[in-house]
This record gives sequence, structure tokens and C-alpha cells, in this order.
Amino acid sequence: MTHVITAACIGAKHKELSCTEVCPMNCIHGTATDAILYIDPEDCIDCGACVPACPREAIFPAGDIPEKWQDFQQINADYFKDKR
Amino acid sequence: MEKTTNCKSPRTYRIVGPQRQIDERETPHFRARRGELGERIKVLRQPQIEQDAFKRAISDGKMKGDMHNSLQQLFLQMPQGAVSPERLPVSDPVAMSQKIKEAARFYGADVVGITYLDQAYVYSHRGRGCSADGEKPGDPIDLPHKYAICLGFADDFDRYMTCNSEISGLEYQMGTKRTLIPTFLLATYIREMGYPARSHAHSRLEVNTVALAVTAGLGELGRHGMLIHEEYGSRLHLAVVTTDLPLAVDEPVDIGVEDVCKICMKCAQTCPTYSIPFGDKVIVNGVEKWAINVDTCYKGKLSARGKYTNCLTCITSCCYHKRSSWWHTLAGRLLKKIPIPLRPAYIKPLLWMDDFIWGKKPRRRMQWMGYDNAPSPVACNIPGCIAKHKPQELKPLHEIPQPKRQYSFNTSVTEKGGARP
Repeated sequence: MTHVITAACIGAKHKELSCTEVCPMNCIHGTATDAILYIDPEDCIDCGACVPACPREAIFPAGDIPEKWQDFQQINADYFKDKR
Repeated sequence: MEKTTNCKSPRTYRIVGPQRQIDERETPHFRARRGELGERIKVLRQPQIEQDAFKRAISDGKMKGDMHNSLQQLFLQMPQGAVSPERLPVSDPVAMSQKIKEAARFYGADVVGITYLDQAYVYSHRGRGCSADGEKPGDPIDLPHKYAICLGFADDFDRYMTCNSEISGLEYQMGTKRTLIPTFLLATYIREMGYPARSHAHSRLEVNTVALAVTAGLGELGRHGMLIHEEYGSRLHLAVVTTDLPLAVDEPVDIGVEDVCKICMKCAQTCPTYSIPFGDKVIVNGVEKWAINVDTCYKGKLSARGKYTNCLTCITSCCYHKRSSWWHTLAGRLLKKIPIPLRPAYIKPLLWMDDFIWGKKPRRRMQWMGYDNAPSPVACNIPGCIAKHKPQELKPLHEIPQPKRQYSFNTSVTEKGGARP
């Protein structure tokens, strides 16, 4: 189980980054050219600290993602393939 | 398994049902090695040569050269000696207990207590074994001894205060090594008196040391899942010698941990990985207690980005973690004298003073042996990452969850939850 960043983050990450400040595992990453920030599922401990920190309400537990953003779980995981 | 001894129950945990013996291979070190906590923590747990010679000298066998340079490896492969054929008759178990405690202190233990060996706290199977004793991983454990002598070894207060650093990590490692020789000597002493005895110390344990130490009266079980001793707090490394030598047992103590942990919650607020609960006790394996999330606690090591350190934040933030002093001793003794219903009125001002003087997240800067625990930037291996990664010590404190107010029809207010009363 992990937390997932969804489409609501699009366009917001460069201003906020508040989730990255509170994440105890420092497992939220993203570059200036990425559409959203991404949570590394391997390191995420499912603490949920990032959820209230996100002003866009873009972060959900994997089992609680709205239907329309279900594919973001795979998008988050795929981002870290070949990067670690 | 039903309770196998008649020890008085401690206040901080309560046996409410049958307990299953735990297989040592279910404990986090072994699960991490098998990859059950993720691939990255598995790699971190694999034996790697330590680059620093000072760390290598007390490390767990991460040697460049001869493994005989590792004290832990030597002890892991050391067989338990035979029992002397000449048995010393014991007519007075109370006097023998005093003698054993004095011997344990002479060998190096800071605190000693004796309890019955409850089979619920004996592992069902071993995680590793000593080949010289014909043991191998997975073997069922048969430990029929009647008594458990619990030893506590206090680690250095100041080096622990550098928590989540190389310095505190080294102190923790050294603490594990301090348990080895006194435990070995005490077991040897008992075997030389003609009674079977087995030492259970770092990496070679057949018992749950914390549960036995609580029943032996060394302290109480804290919200953070560790023993809290009234003088040393949780900076005690525990070891046990089990034996059939006739002894008088100690009883669990009430030093007020139950009352303090209900109100304080400092460990839960400072735990970097949110592994310590704010809420009430829960029932785990037939025991009602505050249950920490061991998986997330263990995975917290990954946040150090390759610098393998022991966190210890909950130990240093605990209000019992103080340098030995008259005022600390006095505060603890007074707490024990106060009737339980009146204790919150005494504890709350003390906790306010603790926050005011020592800080809500106690941590001290130290430079020692070329190490420095000043916060260092977090390395990120994602090229071009713009995330604001911060070291653990600069992360904000967790908020204590506020209770949800539930309004009934007669507009009276009821509160239920884990908030500070």
C-alpha cells in the first residue's frame, strides 16, 4: 500500500512543494519539466503526512483513489523505473 | 499458548487472551533480509564492507579482512559451555538472588531483575544458530528453564542526544556489544555452580527481552514499545540469562509510566515515521498494549539515504531520558508516591517544564571522533529533482490529533480519542 499523487497536482507543483517538505521518507520527487510530482512506492511508508499538506487535495491512499484517476498509481510507479 | 507462570501483571500491558509464541524469523531484521519490507531495505541489510575502520571495529561483521575481527561474529559462533558435574546446593533462593544480582553488576550490568521464564516470551523457532552447538536457522527452540535473569546496560546520555546521526548509531552499536561479555560471564558462573544456564544477548536471543524485563521489574512498557526505566529511560540495552538455579523472583513495578505515557505523547509527536500511536492501547497477540508499527519504523532507515544509522528519536524525546541527577531521581520518586488518580495533576506541570527546558524535540549538536551531527542536505538521486527534501531533524513536529466532538440530542459533549487529556 502506498499513497499516490493524481491529476489535481498538474500545474501546482512548482508553486507549492509542501508535500515534499513534510514527507518523512523524502520519497516525493519531480523535476521542473514533469507534469506532476510523484511518490516512490518502494519508499513510501503510507503515513499520510502528505495528504493534509497538499493544498490541491491531489494525494490519495492507493485503495482510495477516485475512479477517474485510477491509472495514476501506475503512473507514479512507472516514473521511478530506470531512475533508481 | 496459555500463560505459563503466575507473575503479577504489570500496569502497562495486560494479558487478555492466549499468546502465540513468535518465530524469531518473523522479527523485522529477518523479514528485511528476506525482502519482505522492500528491495531497498533488503540491499541495505545485506553485509556490506563498512568504509570506516572505527565503525568496522564495532560493526556486525562488515569487515574488510578477517571476520575474527568482529566481536559479534565471535560470540555468534561461541558454543554454550557444559554444566559442571558438581552442583552447589541452594538452601536460600533469596540470598542466591542477591548474590546473582551483585555478580551481574560486577560483570557490568547497570540494572538487574529476576522473573519466571514465561514460555509465551520464548521464540518458537530460531532465526540463526550457532553451528558449534549444532543449531541452524529454523530449528524449533526448546528452552525449559524456569527463571530469567534480566540485565540492563545503560548507553551514554550525551551521544544518544545526537539522535539519528552516526554518533548515536555508534553508541547504539557499542551498547549491543556491552551486553555480550557480562551475559556470557553470568551464564558461565551459574553453569560452574552446577545448574544449566543460557545467555541471550545481541543477535543470539531465544527470548523477548522487553516483556521479561517488564515482568522482572526493571521498568514499564512505554508508548513507544520499549522498556522505560525510572533513571535511565529507554537507553538500556537488554539481555537475559535463563537458568534453573533456584532464585527468588521480583515483581513488576509501578513507576508511573502508564500515567505519563497517556498524557505525554512526545515520542508519537517526534517519531519521524509516524510509527508510534497517539491513540489508545490495542490487543496484539493476546496482549493489550500500545502497539507501534514496526514495519514503518524499520523502513525509516531508508530515509538516511545510505548512511545506516539508528534513529533513537523516541528514546531521546522521552521525558524519562535525562542525565542521572538528584532532581530527576526526586521527580520519579515523588511520582511513585502519589496515588494514581492524582498523578495527572503532578505530571502535566512536569511535562510543561520538560518541553520548556529540554525542548519539544530534544537533540544536541556534537562533534566527536571526526563525526558531526549537524543537519546535512538530503542526497537525491533523481536528476533535476525540485522537491524540498529535508533531513529528519528539520521536519516539523506531528500534531496531536484533536478529538472529534460528538453531540447527542441532550447536547452533552462526549470525547473519545487519543488527544492529550
